Amino acid sequence: MEQQRVSRLQRIVRSKAFTLFVLLAVLILGFGFLSPVIKRGAMFFHSNTLKTTLQDLSIPAFLAIGAGCLMVSGSLDFSQARVGAFGGIIVAAGIQWWGLNWGAAIIIALALSAIIGLVNAILVNELKFQPFIATMAMSSVIYSVMYLVATDRTGQIQSTINFTNEGLTKIIDWNLKIGSFELPGTVLLLLAAFVVYGLLLSKTRFGRQLYLIGGNATAARLSGIDAKKTSYFLFINCSVLSGLAGIIYTGRTRQGSLLALANDQFTGMTAAILGGISFGGGSGGMGGAFLGLLVIKTFSKGLAIINVNTYLTNVLSGALLLAALTFDYFSQRSQRKRIGI
Amino acid sequence: MDKYLEFTGIGKSYPGVKALDDISFRAEGGKVLALLGENGAGKSTLLKIMSGDQQANEGTVSLSGETLSLSSPAQAIKAGISVIYQERQLIPSMSVMENVFLGALPSKNGFIDYKKLRADTVALIEEFGLPILPETPAMFLSIAHQQMVEIMKAYRRDSAVIAFDEPTAPLTDTEISTLFRIIRELRGKGKIVIYVSHRLKEIFEITDEIVVLKDGRYVATLQTSATSEPELIAAMVGRDIGDTYANLSRNEKYGDVLLEVRGLTTDMLRSVSFNIRAGEVVGFAGLVGSGRTEVMRAIFGADAIDSGEIKFDGETVKFRAPKDAIERGVALCPEDRKEQGLVLWRSIEDNIIMPVLAKLKKGIFLDPKASEDLAINEVERYSIKTPTVDKIVAELSGGNQQKVILGRWTNKLMKTKLLILDEPTKGIDVGTKAEIYQMVCDFAKQGMAVIFISSELTEVINVADRILVMHDGEIKGDLTREEATEENVLALAMSE
Repeated sequence: MEQQRVSRLQRIVRSKAFTLFVLLAVLILGFGFLSPVIKRGAMFFHSNTLKTTLQDLSIPAFLAIGAGCLMVSGSLDFSQARVGAFGGIIVAAGIQWWGLNWGAAIIIALALSAIIGLVNAILVNELKFQPFIATMAMSSVIYSVMYLVATDRTGQIQSTINFTNEGLTKIIDWNLKIGSFELPGTVLLLLAAFVVYGLLLSKTRFGRQLYLIGGNATAARLSGIDAKKTSYFLFINCSVLSGLAGIIYTGRTRQGSLLALANDQFTGMTAAILGGISFGGGSGGMGGAFLGLLVIKTFSKGLAIINVNTYLTNVLSGALLLAALTFDYFSQRSQRKRIGI
Repeated sequence: MDKYLEFTGIGKSYPGVKALDDISFRAEGGKVLALLGENGAGKSTLLKIMSGDQQANEGTVSLSGETLSLSSPAQAIKAGISVIYQERQLIPSMSVMENVFLGALPSKNGFIDYKKLRADTVALIEEFGLPILPETPAMFLSIAHQQMVEIMKAYRRDSAVIAFDEPTAPLTDTEISTLFRIIRELRGKGKIVIYVSHRLKEIFEITDEIVVLKDGRYVATLQTSATSEPELIAAMVGRDIGDTYANLSRNEKYGDVLLEVRGLTTDMLRSVSFNIRAGEVVGFAGLVGSGRTEVMRAIFGADAIDSGEIKFDGETVKFRAPKDAIERGVALCPEDRKEQGLVLWRSIEDNIIMPVLAKLKKGIFLDPKASEDLAINEVERYSIKTPTVDKIVAELSGGNQQKVILGRWTNKLMKTKLLILDEPTKGIDVGTKAEIYQMVCDFAKQGMAVIFISSELTEVINVADRILVMHDGEIKGDLTREEATEENVLALAMSE
């Protein structure tokens, strides 16, 4: 049979990312139409809305990247939120209580995050725990350790540790000025991260290995792919990114909090799933996860702007996820049916 | 008049393969009927259809003249058919009595009536004469007793038909005699018993009639008392060895010894030793479970070795993972194509480039063009039927899937010296099988050593230059193609 090359356009149109892109466009236009008018245009289109939406995005984004990479390889990490909160607590306590400078505090927080990731990887690869069990257990261990760290000199547990540090605040709140629009530095960092991880997954040998391991770990091993090494990298990577998300949160709010990021972990995973990264592994990518995140945040921001109450917003966000999963289920089922397995 | 189970014109197709074709026979109550055939003859498929696990495309199953609807396992049980598989279907943490009466637990006032449950189970256990207690969780029973519980379950349901799939494989001799006593009792009560096994000795001991299947077709029904082992083997093997084999263009000249295995021992293997020369095609025959696959996995570094030495290409090697073996030029096409060979939901291209990802680099990235070119090259070389290399492998037929795996191991970036093919023709149509035989000979001509494993005797003894026969983790014979007849290979493979 004559071999055809696959055109770029075909690949794009067939991809999940394209579907999400259309959905995002619909949401933006829809909310733009419904939103109240302020000054000279719809409030939804106001530059400030864009800025805050993007800023809100940065924390779940780092979680989505870490979780997404693991999920592509068929694994997962439920300790993300706690690792992030732990990183934040270390930075806040380090600066306020232990008199560290902010740079040192951040380095210590990231190093501890990496160690947590390493322990997760050991539990999963050497002691053969299910990733779900291992990271859940790790999650509650970290939570307890956080209590110890957050106990002040009087023996009182501080659920939040406030701090002041000009250097850190200046870095976190730095904006890139483009004309009259200010692009937050954290947003630049997250865009860069999506590009780097996107290229890693789609263009490199390492990335291809993730998909093959996630698709069939046994076949990958029998074809000479070192799944263990990969798994170690992914768990450590996921933890460090979670720590980073926690540090950004702490820098922005000027406080370390025991309960930080709890919702963001859910948002991050939802974005990954919405973007086509399934729990089964072997599918999806960073472009999809990014668009998934944009869809979720646009959706909730839009609902807030047209004054839908918070409880209803939560219901609708849940419905969006269920709709995405249902769509996924049916498209996969029809594919399987066609092949007859 | 006893009951009878009748199969009429049963046919079952999977994409690219016809697993069963016009199967018709009758199994009578008060008799034990054996289903016999080589691997792939269609015995398991027939059992799956009986148990409602899969549905026939054609034909009907009827019980004493009444057509049965077997669209789910629940319906098959309701219709009175119990199939006892090799892998137990008990709930490990539940007690014997709960397992036996699963789905029909006696109740009183909305609660389970444990008193009655216990009494009923005790009665059954006594009838079977077993040394087990009703309260013991199933997971604490020996495999033999778990099987007995399974049989009690079928008996309790008052199933008219009880079918056994290789029941004696995990049992010791004493356990087998208990099983046979119970089978005889079932027969005495007028049950229709169907018995699937590879072990001819047992078939002569326990069955009354034998239905022989071959390549998904019905061959004959023989009376056990009126037949002999050679006659059975002849019926199983058939006489349709076509010209396919005579027309193969084989490799004539061998090189040096490439692989030398000495005293290879694992928990499944007992001191396995053999040599293979470059350019030689060595066949491994033996029944499923005889240790053929385990030898290959040990050589390939996929399983750990207890003791023994492997010399490859003149050097003693210790492969700690498949990766090490692949680097030295050993390649394995595993027996289970879908579970171990392919990443089903990825593209043909991805499946071909798997072991050579490191060689397809352009800077820090994979070279997409080189990768696509490599895949296209293999698709054309093996004439894999697909419009693009982007197609996911799950959508291909079995034969084309196998070719993708061959492309993976023999593409121009690989330097494969030893190619191990474990059941490469399983579930593949006759035409593609012939293509694969010629490919095997071509690999040998290119100087590769090829190990060819198959449960289909005919093909092993006709494709390979030399045949090693395994039984119970040991090599029982080393025959040249001229020496190897199906009869003497089967005799070695079934030797007790």
